[in-house]
Amino acid sequence: MIAVPRKEYRESLAALRSEVESMGTAVLDQLSRALDALERDDQKLAREVIDGDERINQRYLDLESDCIDLIALQQPVASDLRFVAASFKILTDLERIGDLATNLARYALAGRSDEIAEVQIQTIGETARGQVRAALDAYVDADSAACRAIAERDDELDASCQNASEAVVRELIAGESDRWEIERLLDDVSRLLLTIRDLERIGDHAVNIAARTLYMDDGDPKLIY
Amino acid sequence: MSENQNPQTQTDTATTGTDQPLTTTTGESVEQTRDEWREYEFEGESKMTVENLDVYYGDDHALKDVSMEIPEQSVTALIGPSGCGKSTYLRCLNRMNDRISSARIDGTVRFDGQDIYQDGVNLVELRKRVGMVFQSPNPFPKSIRQNIAYGPEKHGDLDTGLLARLLNRSDEEERDRLVERCLRDAALWDEVNDRLDDNALGLSGGQQQRLCIARCLSVDPEIILMDEPASALDPIATAKIEDLIEDLSEEYTVVIVTHNMQQAARISDQTAVFLTGGELVEYGETDQVFEDPNSERVEDYISGKFG
Repeated sequence: MIAVPRKEYRESLAALRSEVESMGTAVLDQLSRALDALERDDQKLAREVIDGDERINQRYLDLESDCIDLIALQQPVASDLRFVAASFKILTDLERIGDLATNLARYALAGRSDEIAEVQIQTIGETARGQVRAALDAYVDADSAACRAIAERDDELDASCQNASEAVVRELIAGESDRWEIERLLDDVSRLLLTIRDLERIGDHAVNIAARTLYMDDGDPKLIY
Repeated sequence: MSENQNPQTQTDTATTGTDQPLTTTTGESVEQTRDEWREYEFEGESKMTVENLDVYYGDDHALKDVSMEIPEQSVTALIGPSGCGKSTYLRCLNRMNDRISSARIDGTVRFDGQDIYQDGVNLVELRKRVGMVFQSPNPFPKSIRQNIAYGPEKHGDLDTGLLARLLNRSDEEERDRLVERCLRDAALWDEVNDRLDDNALGLSGGQQQRLCIARCLSVDPEIILMDEPASALDPIATAKIEDLIEDLSEEYTVVIVTHNMQQAARISDQTAVFLTGGELVEYGETDQVFEDPNSERVEDYISGKFG
């Protein structure tokens, strides 16, 4: 094989990969700051995260448009097609993770999340964030083995979330709080359950990213179905 | 990806998509799938079976040990760079290469089970049943009507049959019914039915090509070979030919050589990729070949990575 033709096309593909990575890094940053806001009950930081979602949404729309241009103008096939198709889907997952980070920031604004000592929101949050980080790395490195590992680890995150939700409900039932105390706790408890659910969903999006990456890397759609 | 590690395509893994979060499978089963080798097997009957076909032009070994089954009532696309042997291969399917004195052909080509290279095969009959449409439209310099009627008249197919005699139809009526049927099947009737006695050379390029397809249909073929039938046409005429090919494949077996990979992707059920040196490198369902080819050389070729 001599010099590779279609220079502009090759450059567009490379640019898309680095732009998706860059958007992923921005989303991870939003997620870290949302978790910090929850931990430190930092209202200012929470507001910054909420305001920052607009930038993520704009990047998402721009990159989606880049993918459509690539398909329309360059008609990619084979591994190039799988790369563009996977990136197109992964962008949606990243945007959704951004939205969920915003949800976490809103919960931080609404009140504390450490009412029930047994529920370690930060630990679960770090696991979910780690999954997103690993999925983004797998995408950038086109690492199939890492994709499969991410899918397997999701079961652990699901189990942690399940345990945490059960702990919240148990605490509510077992607590000797009077009726007024329960009324007071209701908001906090609902919010805590929503926080757990959103962290679990972040993990699901990480698995989606891994599944599309596996398809992109070696055409294996197994994790998608 | 090495050529021996073939991930499965959707055929055996597709399930209905749901809105649920993705489920996972064990790494073990994924590994198992990746290592399975899947030979291409199509559904339905084979119309043509080519085994160990070699073609030489003098000392030039133009086609090397090609084996391939062509399923009936489908579109099979042959793609590959110039000089890869795809047109040579196409011409082997109705023995057009016999006309080239330096050509030597080894191997077997079975058409409905019968070896077309065995002694005593009637070439006129073969080429009637395995018709061909060429790159440049080549209508006879005769009227549109005569272009269609010429073949059947030569073959004696227009003799008034019992049914026509019972219905009291004349030879002219029979001929005109055939002309209409072929022009309709070639999606040309509506454009030319008011000028059937005009010279065919007055038609546009796209219309001439559809007339050539209609002419091919007039002798009632089973297989239609097409050698870049749309490469000289504009996008609208090309789209009409592509629609026509799709319609024809409901009744006929179509084998098409094309340089336009997107065209192959659009219209064919299976794709064969020939690469320089006359080698058939990959043959499979079209969506698999364009989405996840087994061969890295095919991947490079269809992605335009060859310099």
